[in-house]
Amino acid sequence: MAAEQESIKREDFIGKVSSRIATFFLGLVGGLAVFGARRKNTVWQLDPTKCVSCEKCSTECVMSPSAVKCVQDYPMCGYCRLCFGYFQPNAPELTSAAENQLCPTDAIERLFIEDPYWEYNILEDKCIGCSKCVLACEVFGNASFYLQIRHDVCVNCNMCAIARHCPSDAFQRVPADDPYLLKV
Amino acid sequence: MNDKTVSAIIVGISIVVAGGLLWWLLGSPTEIEPIKRVTDVEAETLAGTMDDGSASKESIVNIEGIFEEFENSPTEPSSSWTTFRGSDYSNVVTDGPALAESWPAEGPPVKWMVELGEGHSGAGVFNGKVYILDYDEEEEGDSLRCFSLSDGKELWRRWYKAPTKKNHGVSRTVPAITEKYTVTIGPRCHVMCVDTETGNFRWGIDMVAEYGTEVPLWYTGQCPIIDNGVAILAPVGSNLMMGVDCETGKVLWETPNELGWNMSHSSIMPMTLLGKKTYVYCAIGGIFGVSAEPEDVGKLLWSSNVWTHSVTSPSPLAIDDSRIFLTAGYGSGSMMLGLKEEGGEIKVEPLFELDKKVFGCEQQTPVFYEGHIFGILPKDAAALRGQFVCMNPDGEIVWSSGKMERFGLGPFMFADDKVFILDDNGELTLIKASLDKYEQLARHKVLPGHDAWAPMALVDGFLLLRDNKRMACLDVRAK
Repeated sequence: MAAEQESIKREDFIGKVSSRIATFFLGLVGGLAVFGARRKNTVWQLDPTKCVSCEKCSTECVMSPSAVKCVQDYPMCGYCRLCFGYFQPNAPELTSAAENQLCPTDAIERLFIEDPYWEYNILEDKCIGCSKCVLACEVFGNASFYLQIRHDVCVNCNMCAIARHCPSDAFQRVPADDPYLLKV
Repeated sequence: MNDKTVSAIIVGISIVVAGGLLWWLLGSPTEIEPIKRVTDVEAETLAGTMDDGSASKESIVNIEGIFEEFENSPTEPSSSWTTFRGSDYSNVVTDGPALAESWPAEGPPVKWMVELGEGHSGAGVFNGKVYILDYDEEEEGDSLRCFSLSDGKELWRRWYKAPTKKNHGVSRTVPAITEKYTVTIGPRCHVMCVDTETGNFRWGIDMVAEYGTEVPLWYTGQCPIIDNGVAILAPVGSNLMMGVDCETGKVLWETPNELGWNMSHSSIMPMTLLGKKTYVYCAIGGIFGVSAEPEDVGKLLWSSNVWTHSVTSPSPLAIDDSRIFLTAGYGSGSMMLGLKEEGGEIKVEPLFELDKKVFGCEQQTPVFYEGHIFGILPKDAAALRGQFVCMNPDGEIVWSSGKMERFGLGPFMFADDKVFILDDNGELTLIKASLDKYEQLARHKVLPGHDAWAPMALVDGFLLLRDNKRMACLDVRAK
């Protein structure tokens, strides 16, 4: 009698535990699926109208180099021979030598189009998102350089490390199917 | 396999994994070979990315060009605005009628408005006629256009073909006008002299072809001046400066350019320094003074490279007999230059320098009014960016317009104890000319366009101003 009671209790116990574990895992999987789906619907992006070019994008991102890159808005660019986003202030010469360039990583390519126009292209593999060129272009040029999170690099952290440190609250979630905040 | 063997395998795997992890964490990063970043001239030439200057080697332009005359409506006589910043180069108007202290809701009355080619050239006025060096985009030429001040109708134009690509607009300068002669400098340094009344061609000079001038970035902003019938020009090519007889076009004197300096966007400013009439010019390379006295006109009196910046647009500002105020944008700040005579030579030295956050001007030349310097600070001036400021000649800010009143790169001028300030977007602000505080009187958007950067002119209470595509004449007189 005692052995029968013990046997029923064990089966009960195993059944109850199994059903609860199964429920827990079902809930977990379902929850993760919903969370994952929601997470996939939005991504982080930087509003260029709020950005103050503080340089934190280059130091706070979990990726190295940062997932934030400078982008060039070609219709806004003046195609100037002396581009203040490309050259150091009072650069000794207007050539691509390092001492003349503002970019610390040589991430801006300068191409002569025809007098007096020069084209400036961002080499994203080299860009670290330091925004030195962005600030200079904003102050002295047409503001055609600005920062954007590049989603081929960004890992879309739950809490973006740069957003936590951004002094101008420029980071926000945007729809994944429209992931860039363009100036124009 | 017994328990002992299993334990040994687990411990072994753990040691290997931990070791690998430690190696990965503590191992030295991949060595990056430093790359020497210098201009590879050969590679860039092959790639077509080198600017070898060939693009600016142009064919000789026929500056006489073509003359066109239009309906000749009679013009009424008027006062004059004969050159950049007015006849005394101060941008302070001391004569003329009283000006309105407020405007109606629809703004000051617009007397007329005309379309222009894209650019920033300013108007001059002589005897009821308005002169402006426009750029004709269809004909691809610099065009001196003469309008009636009273109704804005075009009387005549003289233009020469000089194709120039837009580079923040094309036209840039203000003509110099006397009763007999009008002299212009085109964006690519073509000088033209015509008869003021009829527009008949007198002579032309291509400063690039004839004097080796290097056209400044974004084209030249140098406005010519005429002094006693002599056009004073600063090619800063084979010579620093020269005087050209307006009647004949003959070069009367030249100041050699032994310094190897280049032309800037600045204009020549006549001043009296240490009792001597002097033409002062800020070049790319430094600043210099040339004698304007008849006995040694054209002699280089002094030069200094203490003030040199890659872009200099404002002209030097005379403070008194021995001080010149210099300023620029793009991070340059400002400098007060002192002159003194020692052993028969003029010595030049900075008296003080100001950081870009204290005072700078990107395009416009500051105004010296009642012993104070007024200007609009550039965007890199931190808290003062875009503010209109009043500074004493010791470099101390007396007042600024405040963080709610910021302006752009447009012009400002003083008249009848008031200041007109034109913002980039064509918004005109009228304030009191005060040494105490910023006090706004009126504001109205008077031009539809943008980049309203050209110097203004004021004649008999009629204000001539423009945005990048049109010129307007406003009646700003008091009722």
